[in-house]
Amino acid sequence: MLEFGQFKANTCNGVGRRGFLKTAASIPVALGAGIPTLAEAEEARRRAKAKSVLLLWLWGGPSHIDMVDPKPDAPMEYRGPFGTIPTKTTGMRFTELLPRLASRSDKFSVIRSMRTSNGGHPGAGTVGLTGYEENAGPVQPNFGSIIAKHRGQHDALPPFFYVGQGIPRDLPRRIEGYGGGTLGKAYDPFLVSCSEQGKVGIPTLKMLPGMTPNRITDRRHLLTQLDQTQKQLDNARISDWNRSYQAAYGLLTKPGARQAFDLTEESESTREAYGQTTFGQSCLLARRLVEAEVPYVQVNWSEYVETFTPNGDFGWDTHIYNFELLQDRHCPIFDRAFSALLDDLYDRGLMDDTLVIAMGEFGRTPRISNRAAREHWQHCYFSIWAGAGVQPGRCIGQSDAKAEHPVTRPITPLMAGTTISELCGVGARERAEMKVLDGGSLIHELL
Amino acid sequence: MTLLMPRSILLGNLLLAITLTTSLSATEPVRLTHDGSLKRDPRFVNEGKELVYCYDEAPDLIRMMRLHLDKPNPKPMFDNSGDKHQLEPFFSPDGRYIVFTECTGNLSARLVIREQESKKDAYITHSGRGGTRSPCFSPSSDLVVYAFAETGPQHLWSVKPDGTDKKQINETQGISNWPTFTPDGKRLVYSNSRENNYEIYSMNLDGTAEERLTTNNLMDIRPMVSPDGSKIAFTSTRDGNYDIYVMDIDGSKIKRITESEERDDYPTWHPDGERLVYVGERAGKFDLYMVQVP
Repeated sequence: MLEFGQFKANTCNGVGRRGFLKTAASIPVALGAGIPTLAEAEEARRRAKAKSVLLLWLWGGPSHIDMVDPKPDAPMEYRGPFGTIPTKTTGMRFTELLPRLASRSDKFSVIRSMRTSNGGHPGAGTVGLTGYEENAGPVQPNFGSIIAKHRGQHDALPPFFYVGQGIPRDLPRRIEGYGGGTLGKAYDPFLVSCSEQGKVGIPTLKMLPGMTPNRITDRRHLLTQLDQTQKQLDNARISDWNRSYQAAYGLLTKPGARQAFDLTEESESTREAYGQTTFGQSCLLARRLVEAEVPYVQVNWSEYVETFTPNGDFGWDTHIYNFELLQDRHCPIFDRAFSALLDDLYDRGLMDDTLVIAMGEFGRTPRISNRAAREHWQHCYFSIWAGAGVQPGRCIGQSDAKAEHPVTRPITPLMAGTTISELCGVGARERAEMKVLDGGSLIHELL
Repeated sequence: MTLLMPRSILLGNLLLAITLTTSLSATEPVRLTHDGSLKRDPRFVNEGKELVYCYDEAPDLIRMMRLHLDKPNPKPMFDNSGDKHQLEPFFSPDGRYIVFTECTGNLSARLVIREQESKKDAYITHSGRGGTRSPCFSPSSDLVVYAFAETGPQHLWSVKPDGTDKKQINETQGISNWPTFTPDGKRLVYSNSRENNYEIYSMNLDGTAEERLTTNNLMDIRPMVSPDGSKIAFTSTRDGNYDIYVMDIDGSKIKRITESEERDDYPTWHPDGERLVYVGERAGKFDLYMVQVP
């Protein structure tokens, strides 16, 4: 089930988006931030039992008002076309697009008062994955890179994976906050892809001509190919590529590591439960990586995951067809895959020490656009948290009557990153030593 | 010629023919495709002998396919579609045209009305970004109706097959979508969201004499009027997930057709008016199913 593919690269180059990015409002990074109190830090440390983190990164900006924060009493130009359904959490309703998750809300908690500081994809992506703006000095590391550095290299598997055929990007460049940042490229994520058929691809190895799964175990052949390939690379790229290559090689030559990628070892019913979609099977692969004790796995609903725009997928960036896409594709796929993932983790006893989070980089305009869709909205959005000491069945935070702004304490990406790190045992002292997440505070409502 | 055909293909075709023949009179749904990819928008053509539908050929490409019910392998609807998404096909009753939505890039989509024999296209676009939705042909094949949002609420629009005389039909608030004609061509049946969720309505072609046909707290979408004009098939989440229902043309006598715990969506009538084809999700895979309407 291993393939040697190469991630495609394409950009969200919609006309006017650059301009939008340039003029996007900027708000202070550390909204509501504060150093954790001693009691909070002690409490988090006591609860710190996340062996692994599994982040479902909903790239593009999913519409909070059309999913987990509906406002059926808002004016028509806000509320959208979807009915609402009860969840298992008292007083919390979802739209009708998420029936499976609604029936499992006792397994997770929802934050409805997220707020970020950037309204463009690259900027908000960096803030969402690092806690900081990307133009404020050296780029800070991805939350996953922090956990990877703290935990170190696991036996055969890299400590930080990106699962998703593509890396979050917008405009003709990778977002700055995707990887190791100030911690160095050694803590960049290791990229794998997973098709709707469950075939896993490792793009790093695409650079080796003629490489096949059988040949990967032939060290002599591999070294020959490596030597030839290195000659084709310019010096600047060799070190980066070597690092990725070594990780890929080490990973694939160890049976235990290869096993983690083999979705055929799963029962048919398990694979079906996640759905025959790229995102569904990627979630299943992520669960296998968690089972193999990988500390941090980020599943990207990103480029080329159930796309709608030809040759360039913008994930949840629904500037047009917002309601059709959510109803026809995104929400049914997400509802099924995320529900299956929660069930699977619970059934396998993995939920106690696995922190699961689903979020994007921002939400979407509560006011419906002239084109019957929704634009970027950084002032209010959502995240979903489960496992590893997170108290399930809670609805945390509240937005106003039109879902435009939090009316409770805004929860920021920096707070999310701080909470992730604390639940993984990366306390204030360790963070200070790494010079990361400075000024972040806990989302104590989750604990 | 037949003797040269591999035995496996012969057996496959024979089995498919037996399956279809046997099952057409049964009430159990018959599975028509087997690849499991995401699918949408099935439409009958060629007097019900063929189905055109759209599916995810690749994670980044939605392709329109044509399936002959007596043959196992669907073929691309067009030979040279390139890398454009093509979806929501609808054929003019006289067989002259196909209309479909074509996504040409990020934030842009257009309506294509293609004369099938000459391959001549008329492109229906609006200013600025946005996308047309859900086109359908009038029974007389001289009018296309579709949905588009130009100034906020999403309205229904009409245009002639040559791309001329584009005009907005209704002024209703909320989001209007999925228009379909009654067989006499006098009324449109469609969904609108102004009552907090999608309900099904009908109205005259000039937007007058609107009647509400469903009353339900959850979505009623994708209405399709039966060939004899007596019934409407539609998708609803009223029982917990996407299922197919049929009601009389006046909104009465609602019957649930599918009862799977997984998704059933995109109903379309067979020309005989006795069967429906829809996209069913089973074990996480999406395929076309045909069912007899009781």
